[in-house]
Amino acid sequence: MRTLAIARNTFREAVRDKVLYVLLFFAAAAIIGSKALGWVSMGQDIKIIKDISLASISVFGVLIAIFVGTSLVYKEIDKRTIYTIVCCPIHRYEFVLGKYFGLSALLGVVVLVMTGVAAVYVLVMGGELHGVFFLAALLIYAQLLLITAFAVLLSSLTSPILGAIIVFCIFVLGHAVEILRDLPPQLEGTTAASVLATAYYVVPNLTNFDIKAQAANGVAVDPGYVAWVLLYGLVYTAGVLVFAALAFEDKDV
Amino acid sequence: MDVIRTENLTKIYPRHIGRAHGRSLDSLTLTVGANEVFGFLGRNGAGKTTTIKILCSLLRQTSGTAEVMGQPARSRAARRQIGYLPENPYFYEYLTPRETLEFYGRLHGLSRQERDGEWQKLSEMLDLRDIADQRVRGFSKGMRQRLGFAVALVGNPHLLILDEPMSGLDPLGRRMVRELILRLRDEGKAVFFSSHVLGDVEQICDRVGILVQGKLVDQGAIATLLRREVQRVEVIIEGLEESAIASLAAGAESHRISEAGCHFMMGDLDTANALAEQAIRAGGRLVEFSPVKERLEDYFMRRQITAEAAS
Repeated sequence: MRTLAIARNTFREAVRDKVLYVLLFFAAAAIIGSKALGWVSMGQDIKIIKDISLASISVFGVLIAIFVGTSLVYKEIDKRTIYTIVCCPIHRYEFVLGKYFGLSALLGVVVLVMTGVAAVYVLVMGGELHGVFFLAALLIYAQLLLITAFAVLLSSLTSPILGAIIVFCIFVLGHAVEILRDLPPQLEGTTAASVLATAYYVVPNLTNFDIKAQAANGVAVDPGYVAWVLLYGLVYTAGVLVFAALAFEDKDV
Repeated sequence: MDVIRTENLTKIYPRHIGRAHGRSLDSLTLTVGANEVFGFLGRNGAGKTTTIKILCSLLRQTSGTAEVMGQPARSRAARRQIGYLPENPYFYEYLTPRETLEFYGRLHGLSRQERDGEWQKLSEMLDLRDIADQRVRGFSKGMRQRLGFAVALVGNPHLLILDEPMSGLDPLGRRMVRELILRLRDEGKAVFFSSHVLGDVEQICDRVGILVQGKLVDQGAIATLLRREVQRVEVIIEGLEESAIASLAAGAESHRISEAGCHFMMGDLDTANALAEQAIRAGGRLVEFSPVKERLEDYFMRRQITAEAAS
């Protein structure tokens, strides 16, 4: 109940964040504007609309997760609202989880609304929707949950600006893990190679969550693969949240 | 059982960029008994807030122990017994007092029925009914303080820890806080609070502790700490000739003239009595005869100067 109380409050607070509405406006504009790209790609307009819609949900969802998430705990300390909360008979991890679940719920609503808008737009444009489109949105949400966990971890450790930069780097590296693994031979034996090799094992492989191409082309995806990716995301997210809870456990506020 | 017990409590802040590391609290050993109002005094930066934050689990001590009701202060069992009012309390600006108490009731694990009961009791005690559904955003300092007290009292804690509860309040607000602290003591609670308003502390505290540069230099009942003997005596006489004033002033420590008459400051009761008799014989009329004993403020200054000189 204590975690839920903090989560509800976090949700209410995040809903009032102006950044959210700015990002949602741009996301909606990108979905609607995808038609323009459809015009220049002969006969591909529905595919382009689906592709850009899902990409918008992913990119703007990540931006919300990063900008709101990295300030979640930090803002409570900065505004000193945390004083009377931490003094209550709660576990500190309940506070961290409450903040995380609050933002996750908000992202759930954002993904749901944006997926709904995109789906309606595809239908209005005369397109056809397959289950894989919604599975793609589900995996985007799973990816957002993982990114949010990193944002909350960084929010317990550092300032929002530095936290946002680090989480953004994790996001970019997460989509480039194949490059990290297949480094050019001239880097062999250098410090850069060992740093990048470490990053390969630490950073989650976010390309696993990306089935936008299949969704745009209406190609079915194996449900077993989706389940495996969801499990992968869940385990990784849980691990990052454990670190976030540990980081906050002994923090002086 | 002691409500608060600390032993050799020390806090050293780590070195950060642009800030030297420092010993904020140095081997603090103090006790606060049940049903006691304890005033925690010290200049800015003396370590009062650091102590309070350690007791409320916001900071972790570098060494030493801090216990509340026999439990480590950081334990949940101890925090169930603590109600905390920070200096300038901060709450979610978009919540109303009713929603704020509902939120803290949930954090205390209270059932819906218990939360409703807490609202009924605390909103009446702290006069929150008229502002029950207004957003905290527009609240004055006094309204925030009332809400802060209500939040501190959620869950009916045994100990109240108040950081500068009178800070920034107008005279009516300060009176409200004084009356509330005494009422809470009458209800069986212990109150531990820091304050710079020494007049208020003297009025309501059973015991005080004085912190100088992180060290506790004194703790005890106010009556036993202050010097009992008369420090000086102020005698006010009216209707004296100028020549008589000049003659009497020669035996006084100082004198001044106001609309009330001539004020003579005497060193002790005997010389003050002698001066009063002489003044009456010279045709004056005794308006006031006030023996001045040491006040908490005098004592605080005396201990401050001694301790700072020693360090």
